[in-house]
Amino acid sequence: MKNSWLIAKREWLERMRSSSFIGMALFGPLLILALLYFLFAYGGEGKQRWKVLIADPTGIMANKIVANEDNAMRYSFADGYIELEEFRDAKQFQEFDALIEINEKVLSNKTAFIFHREQPSVRMQTRLQFQLERRLEEVMIQRFTDLKVSEFRKIKQPLTIGFRNVYDPFDESKDIRGWAGFFFGGIIFLFLFLFGMTILRSVTVDKSNRIVEVLLASVNPNQLLAGKIIGVGLAAFVQFFVWFILVSIGLFVFRESLFPDLLDPANMNFVQLSEEMKQQSADLMPQHEYNSIVELVFDRIDFVTMTTYFLVFFVVGYLFYGAFFAAIGATVGSDSDGQQFILPLLVILSFALYAGYYSLSNPESDLAAFFHYLPFTSPVVVMVKLAQGYPTGQAYQLFIALLILGISAICVLFVAGRLYKNGILQYGHRVKLSLLWKWLKKM
Amino acid sequence: MLEIQHISKSFFRKIALDDVSLHLYPGEIFGLLGPNGAGKTTLIRIINQIIEADKGHIRFNGEWMSRHHLKNIGYLPEERGLYRNMTVESHAVFLGQLRGMSKKQVQTQLDYWLNKFEIVDWKNKRIEELSKGMAQKVQFICTVLHDPKLIILDEPLSGFDPINIELIKHEIVEMKAKGKTILLSTHNMKSVEEICDRAALIHQSKKIMEGKISDIREERKTGEFAVKFRGSMIAFVNALWTSFELTEKEILGDETFIARVKMRGDNTFEDLLRTLLGQVKIEAAWEVLPSMQDVFIDLVQPKKTSES
Repeated sequence: MKNSWLIAKREWLERMRSSSFIGMALFGPLLILALLYFLFAYGGEGKQRWKVLIADPTGIMANKIVANEDNAMRYSFADGYIELEEFRDAKQFQEFDALIEINEKVLSNKTAFIFHREQPSVRMQTRLQFQLERRLEEVMIQRFTDLKVSEFRKIKQPLTIGFRNVYDPFDESKDIRGWAGFFFGGIIFLFLFLFGMTILRSVTVDKSNRIVEVLLASVNPNQLLAGKIIGVGLAAFVQFFVWFILVSIGLFVFRESLFPDLLDPANMNFVQLSEEMKQQSADLMPQHEYNSIVELVFDRIDFVTMTTYFLVFFVVGYLFYGAFFAAIGATVGSDSDGQQFILPLLVILSFALYAGYYSLSNPESDLAAFFHYLPFTSPVVVMVKLAQGYPTGQAYQLFIALLILGISAICVLFVAGRLYKNGILQYGHRVKLSLLWKWLKKM
Repeated sequence: MLEIQHISKSFFRKIALDDVSLHLYPGEIFGLLGPNGAGKTTLIRIINQIIEADKGHIRFNGEWMSRHHLKNIGYLPEERGLYRNMTVESHAVFLGQLRGMSKKQVQTQLDYWLNKFEIVDWKNKRIEELSKGMAQKVQFICTVLHDPKLIILDEPLSGFDPINIELIKHEIVEMKAKGKTILLSTHNMKSVEEICDRAALIHQSKKIMEGKISDIREERKTGEFAVKFRGSMIAFVNALWTSFELTEKEILGDETFIARVKMRGDNTFEDLLRTLLGQVKIEAAWEVLPSMQDVFIDLVQPKKTSES
């Protein structure tokens, strides 16, 4: 173990001193901050005032929703059934931005759908969700309990509200929090690729400059492999830490200089809200309107959870992919062979990124569930799913995905160890599947 | 010191070593000889535990060889390299620590060797700033830095200029004087004759010869004698007449020659000297032993020689 640590330390120091590492540590966060600034300035602007039609044929809501008038919302009620196509196409409904269907099923399933024409901002979504949930709660309290509203709210369960595009009701991709997860998944992809390539380069350099034989006279191949993966992994960790610190400082500076009143309760406007609403809305209703990206970054992303799981999945995903890169480095006979064998791995990694996007667009699909557990794609897909939020009681899925990834990483490390041990002293050969198979069988 | 017992090794269907046994004694320089692809490097890798033998075993100082013995071995491989962007000192610290030394011990030893080779100012130079020969000196230093009991040198002289070859040979002999055992794998037969005590020759995966250098040469002598003389070559040849045969001659200068002569019949070296006295002025005469180069070629290519 001591020898692995010495190898790891050398690898780590070499990466830390390289100009590319320092350049990436500075320019990576700057690029992210520049992108965020661009999105803050120009992205995610939504309509500021919405007209919402509530189709309530059985009169469940009794034509009531908010106690006081809300400047951002105007609700109308219809007492008949409205088909989705009718709402989408009929002239008389074009003035409405969204349709909410209320029926007995909503009360039993505790799920309501809001069909919108234009993607609502996060603020608008929150406001709609909050107001609808409150009114439906009142209805349910009256119907099913003898409790007072205040008593009920102490023991209440959350109501699921799904936002759906009226033109494409099955498209679930517009959940903006999912994009945050995709961003984290993208960072994992970037780090896995960059530091995987670093492992590969490190192994091929050892082979090409022939120092590996000197090293193998002191450490066994598994210790050497472990040392390389740990050393490069530590460098990746430091890189991420620097990114995290610099991006955090940048976001703090943005908030202080560009959005000083964001999240400041003193700036809240409670005129239109009831006393009870004021209490629970303080963290959601700032006076000034910012675009949805600003809200997403400063208000909606749970950075602690996302960063924690990012690190966990990055570490295990890195072991999984790092072993592949090390095995390729050890088995190739020349640098050009190495380039050739990187391509399939790059395709798989890119596919992981696509799987993240697919899961963002189709979170409930069977394929998304498969990608969520598949070790090649799970480091990216889990980030998306985590940001979208696991349904209540199903957070265990994340740990199953982690377990599968962990077990797969151990298996791949075992196979990579065999290939590394048998291939590291071979030079100038042509890589053939039959040769790899022989190396795998050999102890 | 090192007992190699019945080692065999195959790579898939190719036999690299076939039942090879060797014995290295403390304080000797042992030459491991053989043509390219004979299996020398495979044997050295097995000793260094880089690869495992299929059969046979090795004992180090009477104990079964295992990884913890590697700290007592210094290994300079034929295919050797250094990290180009590391300094000489950081390289020595890295490799020394892998061999179980503390950083302080490495620095003390490094200073000793840099002083000895008069290259103290290289200490903070990066490897990429050094020439090939300079880098090889650093590799040699890194090999012996941890004061190992057994030093395995695979072609240690290749790439060096004649001055540095003498320097390295001198160091090898000096280490022997300090009681170290040295296993020297080389194709430089002149250096084998000069510094090795014993040698073994591996050919086509098998050991085909082992013994003291002097014994090996003695066993293969052909009864030839050399005479260094001053005078006329014609007079010399006339004197030989039918009792002796001139096999080779070398002109050293103005009427100075070295002639190699074979005896015919029952004639002896004394008879030769008697015959020549008075005909030419004899400066020196000695029995010719085959060089290690001759022995090597004779053993590795015996058929080719007889066919030609």
